[in-house]
Amino acid sequence: MSLTDLITPTAVVPALKVASKKQAIQELAAEAAKLTGYSEQTIAEILLQREKLGSTGVGNGIAIPHGKLPKLGKIFGMFARLEKPIDFEALDGQPVDLIFLLLAPETAGADHLKALARIARLLRDPDVAQKLRESQNADALYAVLAVPSASAA
Amino acid sequence: MASVDALSIAILFGALLALAGILSSLVALRFGAPLLLIFLLLGLLAGESGFGGIKFDDVGSLYVVGSIALALILFDGGLRTKLNTFRSVLKPAAALATFGVLLTAVFTAPAVMLLFGFHWMEALLVGALLASTDAAAVFFLIHARGLRLRPRVGATLEVESGINDPFAILLTLILVEFLVKGDQTWQHVVLTFVQEVGIGAIVGAAGGWAIVLVLNRLSLPQGLHAPFVTMGALVIFGIAAVMHASGFLAVYLAGLIVGNRPTRAHNTVVVFLDAITWLAQIAMFTLLGLLAWPSRLPATILASLVVAAVLMVIARPAAVFLSLLPFRYPNREKVFVSWVGLRGAVSVFLASIPLLVGMPNAPIYFDIAFVVVVTSLLIQGWTIAPFARRLGLTLPPLNRLPRRIELDLPGQLGQELVGYAVGANSPYLRRRLIPSWAKPTLLVRNEQVLPASESDDVQVGDYVYLLAPPEKAEALDRFFINMPAPSKPDAGALGDFFVSGEVSLGLIAETYGLQIAAGDAGMTVAEDFAAHLMRPAKQGDLLPLGSIALIAHTVVEGKVTNVGLRLADSDTEKPHSRIERVKNWMKNL
Repeated sequence: MSLTDLITPTAVVPALKVASKKQAIQELAAEAAKLTGYSEQTIAEILLQREKLGSTGVGNGIAIPHGKLPKLGKIFGMFARLEKPIDFEALDGQPVDLIFLLLAPETAGADHLKALARIARLLRDPDVAQKLRESQNADALYAVLAVPSASAA
Repeated sequence: MASVDALSIAILFGALLALAGILSSLVALRFGAPLLLIFLLLGLLAGESGFGGIKFDDVGSLYVVGSIALALILFDGGLRTKLNTFRSVLKPAAALATFGVLLTAVFTAPAVMLLFGFHWMEALLVGALLASTDAAAVFFLIHARGLRLRPRVGATLEVESGINDPFAILLTLILVEFLVKGDQTWQHVVLTFVQEVGIGAIVGAAGGWAIVLVLNRLSLPQGLHAPFVTMGALVIFGIAAVMHASGFLAVYLAGLIVGNRPTRAHNTVVVFLDAITWLAQIAMFTLLGLLAWPSRLPATILASLVVAAVLMVIARPAAVFLSLLPFRYPNREKVFVSWVGLRGAVSVFLASIPLLVGMPNAPIYFDIAFVVVVTSLLIQGWTIAPFARRLGLTLPPLNRLPRRIELDLPGQLGQELVGYAVGANSPYLRRRLIPSWAKPTLLVRNEQVLPASESDDVQVGDYVYLLAPPEKAEALDRFFINMPAPSKPDAGALGDFFVSGEVSLGLIAETYGLQIAAGDAGMTVAEDFAAHLMRPAKQGDLLPLGSIALIAHTVVEGKVTNVGLRLADSDTEKPHSRIERVKNWMKNL
């Protein structure tokens, strides 16, 4: 199970410095805006809207903020590791330090859901999470996301 | 000797007919055609207007065979209904079985009156003949077709059809009496009703307990448990009928009691009754086909078809919506309950009563009933599964469920042996996971029986036999389900993402691009669970929503406060090939 089709090596941030959930979302939106060419404000609003339904902190220090961006060309994924864990209002109350952001075009439908499920299930694997926390740099992080199955199986 | 020959030939033909019925079930399962219709067609083909040319016009025999067959089908239906299910939907089901039947008859009557020029009383009688939802057809749909309906819809239909026959029969009998004997007082009507329902319920309950008692106290020879129960059911039916009470209600209740008490040989009884019910269905529908006069139908067929249409599209839906008014059912569930108002053998069986009594227009009633039943089986029977899916009322099929072998252990009732083949992907093989109340006892490998002490090195292809309480046997299934490993760890079983119980279904649908029924959009997650579970929610309860599933994650005092979203099935699943998709589509038909 590789995420190479969802994320490119350039969309990995190895040490993001933020102090709160809101700031994290804002920074991620800014980063994603650079890579996709959409406005930072639109992306942040979409992500915050989803957080209103309930936190995307899925537990064990992982959050997967996501949303639909109407005119996006294809599904866009981005990964960020935080320098310091922050409170993300996660269900298990644990502070979050690994964040995967996913934006999908309005038309993605089932692919959107499948992509989200894949990400959630991959990051839920404690081995994968630990490797992500131990990786030295962006390339190493991408390697974990790209070829995790050898270690996870 | 000629008369003996004639009898031998009759036996031969009867048996051949039944055999053809049994083999035709293959045809039906293959093409998804309503099986009962196939039996009916078989009877028609064998009958005087068909190729067989068999002359059969003995309404008396039909009445006897029909009574016995229906009694057994209803007993079997009761036997398979869980008491919890029965209790949880008793009120709405009772409303449907009484007001629903009455309203259906009343709403159908005007059409009959207009089309056939009958007296309004006669028209009402025809309405009453057609008013009951057929238990045989509905049980068959729910148990044999493997259609998994949302719990409440399935249960409501099941219980409704189980208890509505007495009311339809009563209504018919009262109207026949009115028409034949003239005026009856209201006291008489009320008294008849009380007698039918009251005494029927008492006889049924007492009989059910008696069967349980005898079964557990007396040591019958091994093979006789199931025949004893079957004959016991018929005796209960007979007693109730002789006392002018509803025998059908009585056997249904008796079945309910027998099926929900621990008894000896429970599994044998269920298997035996399953076989008996099949035979009963075949016998009844083939006889109905034999008795029908297709050559006479053209005269009334158009008018009868209109009656069928009025019944399906107006009378039944109106009756269902009005009867379910006090209960909180979403509209699509009401629409579905309306559409599953399958007419069946009961209607034709009831139509034989006026024939028996010798009412002047009785043959016409019979023809109307016949056409309506065939139309209903054909149109509604065939479209129910896709219809349920379209309305989002089905649960994902459990076709990966393992085959469970259950063996009674004579001498006690608390435990039985439950056996499974160990599949390569079963949770049991992967993690040796088993509930504490189940005890692995035997292992069968390479045709050798080994004691449980060997079961530590259980392998793929082994059979494992566990000691477990019979009522919990079903719960073992999931430990032997042969399905790909869920992406670990197990917490994931509760969903990929989470949302609060206060969020509306519409918002979730919008966020994830799901197709849901418009009427559901305003409902919150917590309300959705409350409306669909007939009990307080608990962690792990699952409800489908569009293409995803909602799984109760946090539950406070029976109310879902947080819910997990399972966005997609196991990711190891390969995308369907085109051929597979076509196959699935055929299956869905």
